[in-house]
Amino acid sequence: MNSSRMRGVLKLAAIAMFGLGLGGHASAESVLRVAMTAADIPDYTGAPDQGYEGYRFAGYTLYDALALWDLSNSDKAADIVPGLATSWEIDPQNNKRWIFNLRQGVTYHDGCPWNADSAIWNFKRVMDPTAPQFNARHVGQMGTYVVNIASVDKLDDYKIAINTKAPSSLFPYEMAMYYMISDCAVTAAGNDYNVYMKKPSGTGPYKFDTVVPHERLELVKNDKYWNPARIPKHDRLVLLPMPEASTRAAALLSGQVDFVEAPSPDTIPRLKDAGMQIITVPYPHNWDYMLRVDTPPFNDIRVRQAANYAMNRQDMVDMLQGVAVAADQTLIESQPWYGKPVKYEYDPDKAAALLKEANCSPCKIKVGISTSGSGQMQPLPMNELVKEQLEAVGFQVQLEPMDWNALIGVFLSGAAKSDFDAINFSMAPIDPVQGILKKWMTEYQPPACCNWGFYSNPKLDALGKQALGEFDPAKRNALLTEMNEMAVADAAELYIVHDLNPRALSPKLSGFVQAQSWFQDLTPIVVTP
Amino acid sequence: MWLYALRRIILTIPILFGVTVICFALVQIAPGDPIQNLLSPTASQADAERLRAAYGLDKPLPVQYVIWLGKVLVGDMGMSIANNTPVTGEVLRAFGNTIVIAMIAVVIAFILSTIFGVAAAYRSGGLVDKAITAVAVFGISVPTFWLGVILVILFAVNLSWLPATGMGSGGSKGFDYLSWNDFKFAVMPIIALALPPLGIMTRTTRSSLSEILNQDFVQTLRAKGLTEFEVMVHAVRNIMPAAVAMLGLQLGYLIGGSVLVETVFTWPGTGYLLNKAILTRDIPLLQGTILVLATAFVLINLVVDLAQSLIDPRIKRS
Amino acid sequence: MTDAVANSLATAPVQSAPAARVRSYWGGVWQRLRYDYVTLFCIALIVLIVLSAVFAPWLAPFDPYKSSMANRLRPIGYRQFLLGTDEQGRDMLSRLLYGGRVSLLMGIVPVILATLVGGMFGVVAGYYGRKVNMGIMRTMDIFFAFPSVLLAVAISGSLGGGITNQMLTLTVVLIPPICRVAETATSQVRNMDFVDAARATGASTTSILFTHVLINVMSPVLVYASTLVSISIILASGLSFLGLGVSPPTADWGLMLSTLRQSIYVQPLVSAIPGVAILVTSIAFNLVSDGLRQAMDVKA
Repeated sequence: MNSSRMRGVLKLAAIAMFGLGLGGHASAESVLRVAMTAADIPDYTGAPDQGYEGYRFAGYTLYDALALWDLSNSDKAADIVPGLATSWEIDPQNNKRWIFNLRQGVTYHDGCPWNADSAIWNFKRVMDPTAPQFNARHVGQMGTYVVNIASVDKLDDYKIAINTKAPSSLFPYEMAMYYMISDCAVTAAGNDYNVYMKKPSGTGPYKFDTVVPHERLELVKNDKYWNPARIPKHDRLVLLPMPEASTRAAALLSGQVDFVEAPSPDTIPRLKDAGMQIITVPYPHNWDYMLRVDTPPFNDIRVRQAANYAMNRQDMVDMLQGVAVAADQTLIESQPWYGKPVKYEYDPDKAAALLKEANCSPCKIKVGISTSGSGQMQPLPMNELVKEQLEAVGFQVQLEPMDWNALIGVFLSGAAKSDFDAINFSMAPIDPVQGILKKWMTEYQPPACCNWGFYSNPKLDALGKQALGEFDPAKRNALLTEMNEMAVADAAELYIVHDLNPRALSPKLSGFVQAQSWFQDLTPIVVTP
Repeated sequence: MWLYALRRIILTIPILFGVTVICFALVQIAPGDPIQNLLSPTASQADAERLRAAYGLDKPLPVQYVIWLGKVLVGDMGMSIANNTPVTGEVLRAFGNTIVIAMIAVVIAFILSTIFGVAAAYRSGGLVDKAITAVAVFGISVPTFWLGVILVILFAVNLSWLPATGMGSGGSKGFDYLSWNDFKFAVMPIIALALPPLGIMTRTTRSSLSEILNQDFVQTLRAKGLTEFEVMVHAVRNIMPAAVAMLGLQLGYLIGGSVLVETVFTWPGTGYLLNKAILTRDIPLLQGTILVLATAFVLINLVVDLAQSLIDPRIKRS
Repeated sequence: MTDAVANSLATAPVQSAPAARVRSYWGGVWQRLRYDYVTLFCIALIVLIVLSAVFAPWLAPFDPYKSSMANRLRPIGYRQFLLGTDEQGRDMLSRLLYGGRVSLLMGIVPVILATLVGGMFGVVAGYYGRKVNMGIMRTMDIFFAFPSVLLAVAISGSLGGGITNQMLTLTVVLIPPICRVAETATSQVRNMDFVDAARATGASTTSILFTHVLINVMSPVLVYASTLVSISIILASGLSFLGLGVSPPTADWGLMLSTLRQSIYVQPLVSAIPGVAILVTSIAFNLVSDGLRQAMDVKA
């Protein structure tokens, strides 16, 4: 073979190999690759772990609940709308009985029909330990949403009645979090969830395709989804766990992923330079110190107020390069129960004076923090700044970092079981139950739930009971607002910032609407190649 | 010789037994509670207790050990608490991923170190020797995780030649070594892994070669008229058994010590699994991973010992 | 990160002749070292590094814990910040100096402790032989079954973070190899003539141990231990990098590398500095231990 022909063959071979190299994965379908902050792939059998990010990517994608969050709007805090139930109302004769009308014509991904029997089967999977489909693991995640359910009755094929133990006007919010999974699929798997995991089935806008444990979860669009407006505008969704912020940034910059959760503030200028879209939107994600109020020093309202006055929140916002916004209370402005709270403006002199008045100078406190974790933002530098600001007015702060799991343990067991005066534990007050009732009512002190600091105010408790029994939304909201304002006036927490939940998107993406919610709707995203 | 082999094999058994005890004990001294990771942010203490009982974590320690050991011996290392999948499958799969880069790294390090060692010993004390020694010292002194981060910034982010993270364009399932699309993910982890063994093996090769070249019989060979090249070949053949043994050892160390590199590159191998298991306090997974890695290390050592004594009966490591 | 720990075992020095004529032996060592410029330079460098860490409170221009949001991630040479600032606005040079205290401590203290403990076990095992030897060495073998990084990560991961836990972890990891070197050296020395001679003159076991055995075993053990310092420093920084070491805001080179990882996009040079510190220190210790080994061991 002469040399020019040889060169020709080599050229051809090079092109062929190059072409082979370029081959690889899906060619004609549009793929959205998402980098999550989760350390692992969330459970996708209907009870997501890894925090609310799990719900976001492995909950509302594959599954629906009776009610769903309206994620189509960036202007107001997301609220609930009909999902697998088209409407619900309280029984006029019995305020402990909710009637839910179920949506007709919906099938699970495996073809199984959605109806009252399926709904009741789904409740049993967490509530009835004797049922064959009972899943102890699901109880851990989903149990809290059905804890108020006494029983469920089938009224007809598309109507169920849920009887609650105590009257709860906010019950539908709990139903927006409880996923319905396919009873046929679980039964076909012999009630073995490990088998079900190989081919999970829900009613959601995405269907399960494949999983590589710890590495990727691939979902494909469900073009038979019951809400045509929410059929995904891309073919495939790939979810990749990337707990390190720098890895996420690197992956986006090198073109490995298209959509990144929570880029670290330091990487944002670089991402912007590279043409990435940085989107921020406030949602109920409050970064705060929960205070232990039944023992000194925080049992004295002056000390609590002093801490709040000591906060120069704008400094924190600047340090975070604008991915947070100052917080005056647990809720965000666009939430209906925000009210007109007392504002703790930055006033270090007032703070110092209050401490002296309360006879706590220097005021020693021990704070439990985490080194990372879902929703904890950048805990280490942020806590350093809080410590600096508190110490400037007369506190003496000892920070004790631990890993996220350990901190969750401290949170769940309550302030009495630890020696911390405060913990830095971010919360998602997405609804009044989470954001007001479970935080401040005496009956929700640990181990029942989330009133870590043992805050107890009989006036607030009374308002709470009234609110739960008040089924008129306007009146109820007024009561909840009053409760909220009371808690803020009492400086029940150290309010610092609200996370603006930044996301970074590749310029290839369009159509994404960032809702004011922990949960996001990825379905409208269009991926231009 | 067979007696030695038999004795060596039998001695390994109590060692393995001791390894299981240590594996079990290690994870028990850990604070933190894996159950918390499974619970919803608003779950109660009662839910936690129920879940704990379901995983058998409420029994006394020695009982847990015996139960665990019994299951391990039949290949069942329990279920990972974090995602409810069998530990055995997880660890073996991750092990396969680590072996890939560990073996390639070690082989590359071996080839390069032999070349470097020869070049350095050839003109001992010369410029080439000094340069090679510098590279070798760099290799053993550099913190590989730091180097890994720098490589990522350089080649992935700035130049976009190589991907920043992960294993394969479709994940580790179906990873195709022969396809550049997949293999390019392995390039930087391999470089980072290969440096320390490169440094170590270069130094060892160089010093053993120097030693041999200074011995009397080499003068004899030269006097007999062999060229420098042939003398060198002779010397290299002489050190080969020890060098190959070193290769086996380095492989063992890389397999056991890949945690830092794998963390930086998110390479889903046993090191990464180990890190994750520690962070999530996933006790069964942690135990299983440590056990498999330690066992692999012991077995590789065993094979290396036996192979060495086969090649050169004079060598008997204590 | 690989296992230079047991690697260095394979090339550990062995006494080729009894050091009965101790003075002229050390004299010989000094003679050889005098002309080894590289080693001398590295010894000076180490002294410099150690001194700067010891005198950090006087040398550091700023408080290493004082953060300043206005001055985050400044480049090298910005105003008075000679080496720039980190992600919390703290002076990098001061952090480096104070970090050196922790990192050097992590490198040296575990080696010293392991030398004392491991050396003692090794000498006892080597001297008494038989059952005692079996007992001690077999236990060590079990620890040898773990590659050092794995063992370090596993113990650290279990115990949790913190300086004391980390030191404990590293000590435990380093004891077996030192024990083995000590045992090998001791069993060799034990069988030498002068020990029998000493026994024949009726000297007690303890005095034999101290005067003859220890002196001869000391040099290979010490030389070997010096090779472990750089390994210990890297292991410690690796553990801190993984979050298993000291906790923030303590300054420590490994931890600084980890927290600066995000900032590498904003200030790449400043973010790389702690790694350079580890690298330089590590190289220095390696070269010094090489030089010592060459000077003390007649075989190169």
